[in-house]
Amino acid sequence: MILPLGPIHPGLKEPLRLKLKTQGEKVISAEIDYGYVHRGIERIMEGKTWQKAIYLAERVCGICSYIHTQTFAETFEKISGEQAPLRAQYLRVLTNELDRIQSHLLANSTFFKAIEHETLFMYMLALREPVMDAIELLTGNRVNMGWNVVGGVRMDAKDIHLQQIMEIMIKLEAGYDRYVEMYEQGPLVGLRSKKVGRMSKEDAIKGRAVGPIGRGSGLKHDLREDHHTYRDHLDFKVIWRKEGDNFARNMNRFDEIPQSISLIKQVIENIPKGDTRNKVEIGKGYGEWRNEAPRGEVTYMIETNGNLINNVSIRTPSIMNIDSCARYMLNDVATVSDAIATYASVDPCIACAERVIVANEKGEEKHYQGIFDIK
Amino acid sequence: MLDALKDIVRKSSIHVCLVNSGGCNGCDIEVVALLSPRYDLEQYGIYVHNNPREADVILVTGAVTEQWKENLRRIYTKAPEPKVVVALGNCPISGDVFNQEGSSVNAPVSDFIPVDAELSGCPPRPSEILEAILAVAPGAIAAKGRQKK
Repeated sequence: MILPLGPIHPGLKEPLRLKLKTQGEKVISAEIDYGYVHRGIERIMEGKTWQKAIYLAERVCGICSYIHTQTFAETFEKISGEQAPLRAQYLRVLTNELDRIQSHLLANSTFFKAIEHETLFMYMLALREPVMDAIELLTGNRVNMGWNVVGGVRMDAKDIHLQQIMEIMIKLEAGYDRYVEMYEQGPLVGLRSKKVGRMSKEDAIKGRAVGPIGRGSGLKHDLREDHHTYRDHLDFKVIWRKEGDNFARNMNRFDEIPQSISLIKQVIENIPKGDTRNKVEIGKGYGEWRNEAPRGEVTYMIETNGNLINNVSIRTPSIMNIDSCARYMLNDVATVSDAIATYASVDPCIACAERVIVANEKGEEKHYQGIFDIK
Repeated sequence: MLDALKDIVRKSSIHVCLVNSGGCNGCDIEVVALLSPRYDLEQYGIYVHNNPREADVILVTGAVTEQWKENLRRIYTKAPEPKVVVALGNCPISGDVFNQEGSSVNAPVSDFIPVDAELSGCPPRPSEILEAILAVAPGAIAAKGRQKK
């Protein structure tokens, strides 16, 4: 029997249709229908200046909106050959890590909601609110921050705000272990998450899984290692696990949060004085830049004629993760509710994923595709 | 007597269905933030469960993409009367940044379903969302419920 879930469903935050092939209670395989949030962002960006296009880049995804503007700005910086000033680079790291913490907490809370563990769900959301306050202190807004510009960041941060963010981080760290312990050693959470929705390392490579989903399956891959600010100035180590089940993916996110806190502390302690914005002359050319978003790897490929954008292509992590979830994790899952929990554990972000539309020559018969459908 | 009783009951149990008709999901996560202990949506008798068949309030976010053109109407008809539609954020009101040449959005939402209230912002703050639901929903639901008779 085919059991359709969505696009509007109590278990899903965002519109997507999940078709589960079931035999009794058991889920044999799954298929995914995309296309409910395709807005055509790349097409709108064509023929615009970066000042106009960066707002569109921010609205590719609401949860990880920050990293999209950073990657967009860094692509232009690569084309022009000029880097942002060091203080701006530090502030970018600070905002990026704050954004990562709130995104990971939200992702884990969604998983706890999916396994009906309301207590941890509420705890995660309660932990997240002070982090949102820190983001608001720094940038002035909670979700769409408008923080990056090509050549730096929009404004300088005040020392008093940095100190307040430091206090928020110390408070977050102090109570944090308790929640991790609740998750790691809770027997009921273990029953619902351990050895459920497993994906081996080989499958993760075949499915191009990235981010905490890939790292939970043993792929030691984090682009922050290669990023110039992290590599040259900050102490950073890739966190990964071997199990490849729901437990590992969530635990990987839990483990990354203290590291983000440590990076934020390093930034606030060592931030240099100076300008926050360079004047950048953008020449003609093609640039490509990759960054580690909370969900994995974001790539921007931009071709510009000096002033206007000729062509832009965005590759977001969610599409690979959702597709590898449908193909490799949702095979022989014991129950339907486990399948929903598995789907929640890959932290799906549909607004990110809607990048491809395939139409015939007359513009009729449109299809919206995942990576495995592209021939 | 019965009407008065129904009014009281409807005011204190508002079921919300969140429909993302093609936005950046920034508004959606602000609705999720409303569930957190800081805002505690449920103390006002509001319950978010994303099921249109038992919803009193439909929160629409997003700028109506191609696939939602027909489906939005279908979801609206599935919700039982009396119902209230609140357009959340700039996208359902004007299309926000997506409403430009070459995009595949069909804003505003009011072209497809009747909208009772609009709340601008990209995204609006959680407290504003809460205020909007509380300001509109109980009164409008009670009024619409009486109209039907």
